[in-house]
Amino acid sequence: MLRFIVRRLLVTIPTILVVITITWGLIKLAPGNFYSGEKRLPPAIEKAIRDKYGLDKPWYQQYGKMMWGILRHLDFGTSLRFEGQSVNTIIRRSLPVSAAVGILAYLLALIVGITAGSIAALKQNSKWDYGSMALAMLGISVPNFVLGPILVLIFSLGLYWLPPSRWGGFPSRNLILPILTLSAIYMAYIARLTRAGMLEVLRSDYIRTARAKGLSEKDVVIRHALRGGLMPVVSYTGPALAFLLTGTVVVERIFALPGLGNYFIQASLNRDEPLIIGIVAFISITLLLMNMLVDIAYAFLDPRVRYH
Amino acid sequence: MSSGKFRQIVGLVLIASLAYTTLSCAVASGNQEFFGKTVPPKRNILRYVTGDEPESLDPAISNGQPEARIYMALYEGLVEYDAKTLAPVPALAEHWHINNDSSEFTFYLRHNGRWSNGDPIDANDFVYSFRRALAKETASRNAYLTYTLKYAQAYNEQAVFVRDPATGQFLLAKDFDDSLPPEPISGSAVDGAKGEYPADAGPAPETDFHRQMHTPTRLTLPGDEKARSKRLAANAKLKAAVAGKELVPVKAEDVGVEAVDNYTLRLYMVQPAPFFLGLLAHQVFRIVPQKVVEKYKEQWTQPEHIVTCGPFKLKSWRPYDKLVVERDPMYWDAANVKLDEIYFYPMSDNPTIMNLYKVGEVDAVLNHTVPNAWLHVVGEKKDYMDGVEAAIDYLLMNTTKPPMNDVRVRRAFNLAIDKAAWATWRRIVKPLTAFTPEGIFQGYPQPKGAQFNPEEARRLLGEAGYPVIKKDDGSYSCPKFPVDQVEYIYNTQESNKAMAEWMQAQWKQNLGITVSLRNMDWKTFLNARAKLDYKGFARGAWSADYMDPYTFLSLFYTNGENGTGWVDQKYVDMLDQANRTLDNKKRYELLAQAEKYLIDAQPIIPIDTASVNWTKKPYVKGMYPNPGSLFPWKYVYIERDQAKWDYGTPSLAAD
Repeated sequence: MLRFIVRRLLVTIPTILVVITITWGLIKLAPGNFYSGEKRLPPAIEKAIRDKYGLDKPWYQQYGKMMWGILRHLDFGTSLRFEGQSVNTIIRRSLPVSAAVGILAYLLALIVGITAGSIAALKQNSKWDYGSMALAMLGISVPNFVLGPILVLIFSLGLYWLPPSRWGGFPSRNLILPILTLSAIYMAYIARLTRAGMLEVLRSDYIRTARAKGLSEKDVVIRHALRGGLMPVVSYTGPALAFLLTGTVVVERIFALPGLGNYFIQASLNRDEPLIIGIVAFISITLLLMNMLVDIAYAFLDPRVRYH
Repeated sequence: MSSGKFRQIVGLVLIASLAYTTLSCAVASGNQEFFGKTVPPKRNILRYVTGDEPESLDPAISNGQPEARIYMALYEGLVEYDAKTLAPVPALAEHWHINNDSSEFTFYLRHNGRWSNGDPIDANDFVYSFRRALAKETASRNAYLTYTLKYAQAYNEQAVFVRDPATGQFLLAKDFDDSLPPEPISGSAVDGAKGEYPADAGPAPETDFHRQMHTPTRLTLPGDEKARSKRLAANAKLKAAVAGKELVPVKAEDVGVEAVDNYTLRLYMVQPAPFFLGLLAHQVFRIVPQKVVEKYKEQWTQPEHIVTCGPFKLKSWRPYDKLVVERDPMYWDAANVKLDEIYFYPMSDNPTIMNLYKVGEVDAVLNHTVPNAWLHVVGEKKDYMDGVEAAIDYLLMNTTKPPMNDVRVRRAFNLAIDKAAWATWRRIVKPLTAFTPEGIFQGYPQPKGAQFNPEEARRLLGEAGYPVIKKDDGSYSCPKFPVDQVEYIYNTQESNKAMAEWMQAQWKQNLGITVSLRNMDWKTFLNARAKLDYKGFARGAWSADYMDPYTFLSLFYTNGENGTGWVDQKYVDMLDQANRTLDNKKRYELLAQAEKYLIDAQPIIPIDTASVNWTKKPYVKGMYPNPGSLFPWKYVYIERDQAKWDYGTPSLAAD
């Protein structure tokens, strides 16, 4: 197990470096620059800005300087668009916002999704099954940029119950609508995955054995069926959680949250090279780590899985 | 991120905005006098959405309007904008004297100016701040606005003087360029008898720097070796004169800014500059604290270090969330600052902003915020701010590629747009035929451009070799016109798309030409436009940097780097001549002639004069829908007496 973890971690490092390099190359290829505006600046001023940030140095020097900072100090440099703000600080500041919303949304999705999915599987072809699966279908089909505004429309502009947007700190009432919006689609997926997994497991031999042993239905479901039936949910959790942790562009924009996703899209639109690279690297690391955690979780949940 | 995914995300965000707009509008309707709640905040604060997250709190750095409004809370300069007219009114300068040809300005500072840390403000702070804004290392995007100061441009561009080592004399500009105008008074020898200043002005103390400035303008050459060789190669006389001389870099100390004494500041212009006073409220002329800037370098604007001089000081700053400023007790006029705090919310999604406004979580929003689809509801409310803005919408044309290199074709496309109908459809804008906004600059004899005339447009196209044929069903077609050589590019945004489609329909209807539309993200669009990497039309918009027609006309005061490829020395000369003219009326006439020349050459198609288009709660007083959407915050207050609320757009007329 330990060898497996060490090996996976070692593979992670070159992967991240490749991701950073490709991202860097793509940004260099993208037209436009961070300082351009409606009125073109006089050439001397453009030159002063380019010199200040070393943008006219040869590409290998720029690349080398960036890589050196990252490898030596894990330092992604200073944002171009936000004068004097380091990329590391920006990530450190915005990550908790995204993570708070993301984790809460996923927890909600897990609780509701697993419950609904299990009920649907246990009462297959009942009105419960059809009802929850219809809702799940709706959850998957209605994108969050439609759901969010509808929730705002009802609960903020119509009823004046909840604030329509902005970060109000943690915890606060401002979080309720973004969390609901964000969790809907995950809730729906998890419900469907749970249902499918449970249905498969409920028909398997060891469940039949458990029932034959005379275990109560509660024990069969909770101790045996759920454990196997949740395997698909576990593998789904890795990437899902990684994306949720690192921010969701649309929800953060609709609700004006100062999270990573908001920074990510703005940085791309602003051609803010160090910030884009910092966030891409951070997202990649999170994604790879989450996937590794999922693989480890497999080993605990399914006795058939062993890593060498 | 791959461009496909990227486009997808941008697309999603757009769809989100659209869905939002449509949905929110359904609830927006109602019968109340105002849009949403009108409960004043409990405390004496203003919650304002100023636009996108500020790039920096350093007033020298950013040229954006969202930032300008924040700078107006945190920093002050010699003058401040008037709340209604944006004319310069005394701020840190109590009064001033201007010499007889507006080439030398003497400012008398108030003695009670203080930084937020309690340090006194004196003339040296201005000298430091102006020099710093011009230093190349600062890389200020606004530096060009200070170029009328003597040697400012040369210092900013790191140019060099040429000195004869034998005599110590500098070469003079006028000896190598016959086209230069005569020196202004500030560049001529001091002559006590002549009376440089109007009679009522007190005598300004004589200084060495004053005498030094009052010498003819020195020759400056590019500091960069390559650029200098090129310049010398083009002028044999110059090359011969420079040979064997020493090159002296232009230093900060050479710039025409002088602290005569602690409370007297003198500024020297390179030319008569009657418009200069109006420029002085711009952020680039607001002062920064030398000690703090030098100690913390780029970190000086961080909340733990920052020291400011405006009516408010920074309390807290959480990017993309909230920037809070509070009344600064050190401010010289603190007794008259009415608000305790201002919350600036950095947001850029219009429906999200308007939702916050509706539920009463913000008290006022920035200009251009009410979405088009909401106007029929919000525009009727008594908290809607209706007013003309010092801003225009226009189209640029790539004049370097056929068929748009033919002025007749460009004129035809201009004549074929019914701008009055556009203005009616857009509800809030005014049709425009010239290049400066209409009704903004008092006394400016704005020229009139061509009116909508489809007949003439078709005739012109025919003359250019693309005859327009009337078909049996009454519609037109222009089979010879190379439609594949023309397109209309714009940056991705709902309102830009609507405008593009409108223009497309006009040309189809009146000329029988279907121009294809192409949208791109903002930076890609700017790049394509600047590099003339497009054919046909590109969207353009400009809002005034300062209250003078020149802020618009100077967009074409370039070597063709204006997005159209149109270069005309005559136009540049006309602007130069106007700006050297002392009499403001005469200067305006000359500027108007230049504007007429520009619209006749037609590298652009004017579309409309914009409208400020924002909302504020009726209890927010002292905030006026002025044409620049710039607000001197110290006059703003929360009125709790409903009888004194604003019911409708407050008047901009002087009290």
